[in-house]
Amino acid sequence: MQQSVGAAGRAGVLSGVIRRLATMKVAVWLIVLAWFVLVIVPIIVLFAFSFFTTEQFRTVYTPTTTTWVELFSSGRWEVTLRTLRIAMTVTLIELAVGFPFALWLAKGRVGKVGRAVCLAMLTIPFFLDVSSRTIVWRAILGQSGLVNTVLMGLGLTDAPLDWLLYSEVAVLFGMVVTLFPPMVMPIYLAISLIDDTLLEASNDLGASPWQTLSRVIIPLSLPGVMAGIVFCLGPALAAWVEPGMLGGGFVNLISNSIESAYSALRYPVVAALSAFVILLLLLMLGAMYLIARRFGDPASLFRVLRG
Amino acid sequence: MKDKFSTYSQAELTRRSLMQGMSAVAGLAALGGAAGRAAAQDMPLVKAYGVPTAALKDWAPMEKSIGVRCELSGASNDVGVFMRDVMGANMGDSVDLFIFESGTEDILGPQGLYAPLDEKHPELTLWERTSDDWKRSAVVQDTEGNQWGVPVIGNADSFGYFPEKLGLAPDSEEELSWSLMFEDENTRGRVAYGNAYTYSMGPAALYLQAKGAAQIGNVADMTPEEAKVVADFLIERKKAGQFRTLYGAFEEQIQLLTNKEVDVINCWEPAVREANLVLGPDATRYAYTKEGYFKWGHGAYIAAQAVDRGNLDAIYKVLNYFLGGEYRALQARDRGYAGPNMDLGVEYAEANGWTAEEIAALKATEAKVNKKFAKPYVSTTTPNNASAMEEEWQRFLNA
Repeated sequence: MQQSVGAAGRAGVLSGVIRRLATMKVAVWLIVLAWFVLVIVPIIVLFAFSFFTTEQFRTVYTPTTTTWVELFSSGRWEVTLRTLRIAMTVTLIELAVGFPFALWLAKGRVGKVGRAVCLAMLTIPFFLDVSSRTIVWRAILGQSGLVNTVLMGLGLTDAPLDWLLYSEVAVLFGMVVTLFPPMVMPIYLAISLIDDTLLEASNDLGASPWQTLSRVIIPLSLPGVMAGIVFCLGPALAAWVEPGMLGGGFVNLISNSIESAYSALRYPVVAALSAFVILLLLLMLGAMYLIARRFGDPASLFRVLRG
Repeated sequence: MKDKFSTYSQAELTRRSLMQGMSAVAGLAALGGAAGRAAAQDMPLVKAYGVPTAALKDWAPMEKSIGVRCELSGASNDVGVFMRDVMGANMGDSVDLFIFESGTEDILGPQGLYAPLDEKHPELTLWERTSDDWKRSAVVQDTEGNQWGVPVIGNADSFGYFPEKLGLAPDSEEELSWSLMFEDENTRGRVAYGNAYTYSMGPAALYLQAKGAAQIGNVADMTPEEAKVVADFLIERKKAGQFRTLYGAFEEQIQLLTNKEVDVINCWEPAVREANLVLGPDATRYAYTKEGYFKWGHGAYIAAQAVDRGNLDAIYKVLNYFLGGEYRALQARDRGYAGPNMDLGVEYAEANGWTAEEIAALKATEAKVNKKFAKPYVSTTTPNNASAMEEEWQRFLNA
């Protein structure tokens, strides 16, 4: 329904630009070439490296599948699944919490000052180092930390809660805190771009609040949601600080595993682990594409950005 | 987050990166004052690349003593990164001296990237009197016994503990067993264990070997089968709940001790000292052990390309300075690390009017080193079986 609003004229301009670009075949080929050299070649090199081995800190350039066999026989590949599981859990939590928050911030009854304060609070973390933000939690969640002291002081628990720190719960918690702004910001922007008159129109036409949400707001905010998912899932897959500082070594994720292999200069293992993640990511992107298609042409997801 | 490794260096205040800041400060101090700068500019310059632990807090005393300037650019303590810099980036083209933990000379020496040490060089006057414990150690020789470098500093690492919680006298010098780390019921769930195989796998192997549970040829360089035995043991202990946490950085060592989050931790000696600054003298202690230590040392090696650059005399002056009393005393006082010729350090302190307390501390360091270095084992950053050990260690981490 939203597609029709003012889109026709702009689509005309855009298709004109595209037509002109299409005639400039050189430009297109240059872009394709640059993309190939900058993105595809490194991935091919990476993949190729996973078929070599290292001996005495030097790479032996004899093709072999040893690294891949070891990756699976030693169970190291499990870190990719664990990483994926944790990253997706975090992303889902962020989405569940972030979307209502963004909706409230963009369209709720928030005063100008309140909104400015909220936005500032969401922005400030970008300027602070993740490790310094994360390490604080150790003092709060530790056995003699703030939470346990309060709980024991109130008589709610007899002994300090062990699982508050150095556990998967702690890692999830740390990541949810860190990745909240990257999820909320794009959704907030997408929702605040929705014209209020559309919401009023929906209301005037007798839609219930739920119908307005599901048929107007959610479809129009999808570009923001997609961006939020990418901004959240990407860093979550590469999470390094939170598992290191809050996981207590019990939550071994892909970054930690890669770093360990790297410290032994085992580039083939690094390459195989990375290639495996890229493969899993491609599968996930494919799945996301299919899901997005259920809402129509995936490219149309970004139409609202022109609005 | 630029990349995970830059985050690493921010997040992980390692023994060396902690010192990086200090060497930067030292660099500024060396440049401080226009007069000093002018004088320093005339001196021969030796460029070094390596872990900044070797740096003096202030190089001025060295410039005054031997008339040579030293510029040390700090390397990561990651052997992979260091080897890549030396092998891949040809740092020897611009750098005269490499300073790193033991192991790189086993590979970079025979490959021709380090120049062999000329033991007869006229500027290396202290070489003769340096004890074989240091100068013939695996830190500066390769496995064939070729001499590639000069020992700079070293220590024998064990574990920090709270004597009170283990029922020991605060001033006890009793030799404790590594079982406190790995198997003791009283410490179960109260132990922090380093998460890097290079640092933590050796002590576990040492312990298993000492109690007769495993036959291990070389604790520093375990075969895949030996590494598997150690990993299996550690997995069993992990599942039994022995470890409260597997930590990753120096700053964490300090935090775990000062927060009293654990009772025992295999850590660097400075962590214990830092914790005691907060908790009071002897609140935590650094153990003397029955089985042995993670003995490590830093060597200084000459870049092969530097031999023809015409400043070899200056380079050997710096190497000789590393063996001398002034460097020894300053390093021991400022960093708490020991090294060759501790006795010269004591002499220097006495001759230069250091306080009785400082001299006593130096003597204590000398005695401590003598007691500890008699035990096994010397670590290396470049075991031949690095791949197998790392793979087994990952199995432990993933279990």
